[in-house]
Amino acid sequence: MALKDMRVFIVDDYTTMLRILRNLLRQLDINNVEEATNGDMAYQMLQKSPPDLIISDWNMAPVTGLDLLRKVRADAKLRHIPFIMVTAESKTENVIAAKQAGVSNYIVKPFNAETLRAKIASVCPATV
Amino acid sequence: MDSSNGSVSQLMNAHGYLDRVIRELKTLESPQKNTLVSVLQYLSDHIRVTRDEIGALRAGSSNAPIFSSTADELEEIVTETARAANRIMDAAEAIERAAADAEPPLANALMDAVTSIYEASAFQDITGQRIAKIVGALQAMESNLTSLVAAFGPPEEEALVAEGDAALLNGPQLEKNASNQSDIDALFESLV
Repeated sequence: MALKDMRVFIVDDYTTMLRILRNLLRQLDINNVEEATNGDMAYQMLQKSPPDLIISDWNMAPVTGLDLLRKVRADAKLRHIPFIMVTAESKTENVIAAKQAGVSNYIVKPFNAETLRAKIASVCPATV
Repeated sequence: MDSSNGSVSQLMNAHGYLDRVIRELKTLESPQKNTLVSVLQYLSDHIRVTRDEIGALRAGSSNAPIFSSTADELEEIVTETARAANRIMDAAEAIERAAADAEPPLANALMDAVTSIYEASAFQDITGQRIAKIVGALQAMESNLTSLVAAFGPPEEEALVAEGDAALLNGPQLEKNASNQSDIDALFESLV
C-alpha cells in the first residue's frame, strides 16, 4: 500500500499536537487522517472504522494511550493494526510497559519529521 | 483530621509536656538539675521559634489564594502558548500552500523551513505537560501548608492589602476576568 492510500488515526489531547501530526503526515503524502482527543473517543471511532495505522499520545485522561493500546490489542477486530506511541514519557519503565502491551513503535516528544517517517516505515514496511 | 494535622497536634502536646517537665525540674533540689533544665529549655525554645516561623507564613495572609492564583496564571500560560502555536502554524500552512506554486529550489527550501516550524511547534505540548506537573505540585504544597499553618499558626491576621499605586500593579489579567479592547474603549469614552 502506498503512503497516500493509508488511513491513519491520530490521538492526542492537545489539539495543537494533532495539527502538527496532521501537517507532518501530509508532508509524507498521507492525507487520509482521522483524529480523536481522548482514548475513549478514539476507541469508539476505531471500532467503527479500523485504520491502517494508529498514532497515539500516552498522557491523556481518563483513558490513557496505554489503556487504548491494551484495548486495541485485546480487540480481535483491531489487534493487527500497527500502533505507534508518541509521547513525552521517556522513562525506561514507560517504554517497557508499552512494549509489553504490544506497541509497534515509540516516538519521544519532541520529535522531527524524519523520525516520524522512519517509524511509520518500520511498522508499515509495505508502504515504502 | 488528616495525618499532617495529627502530627502537628502530637508535636504541640509534646511541647506543652516538655514545658511542664522543665517547670517541675526547676522545683527540685537536686544539684544536677541545671544541666538537664538548660538542655530541655534549649529544645523548648527551638520548638517555639519553629512554631513562630511557621505561624509567620500566615502573615501576608492567605497562602491559599496565592497558590490558586499562581496555578491560574500557569494555566493561562498554557492557553496563551497554544494560541501562539496555532498562529505560527496558520502562517506555516500559508507558506506551504504558496510553496506548491514555487520553482523547485525555492519550493524545497520553503518546505524544509515549514517542516522545521511544525516540529518546533511541539514545544507547546511539552511545556503544557510540564506546567501541568507544576500545578499539581503547587496544589499538594498548598494543601500541606494550609494544614500546617492552621495547626501551628497564631490567630489569623488581617490580610495585607496593597494600597495606592501598588494596588494597580496586577500584571496581565486572566482571560476570564479581562476586558477586551472594545470594553476598554467604551470605558475610556464614558469617562469625562
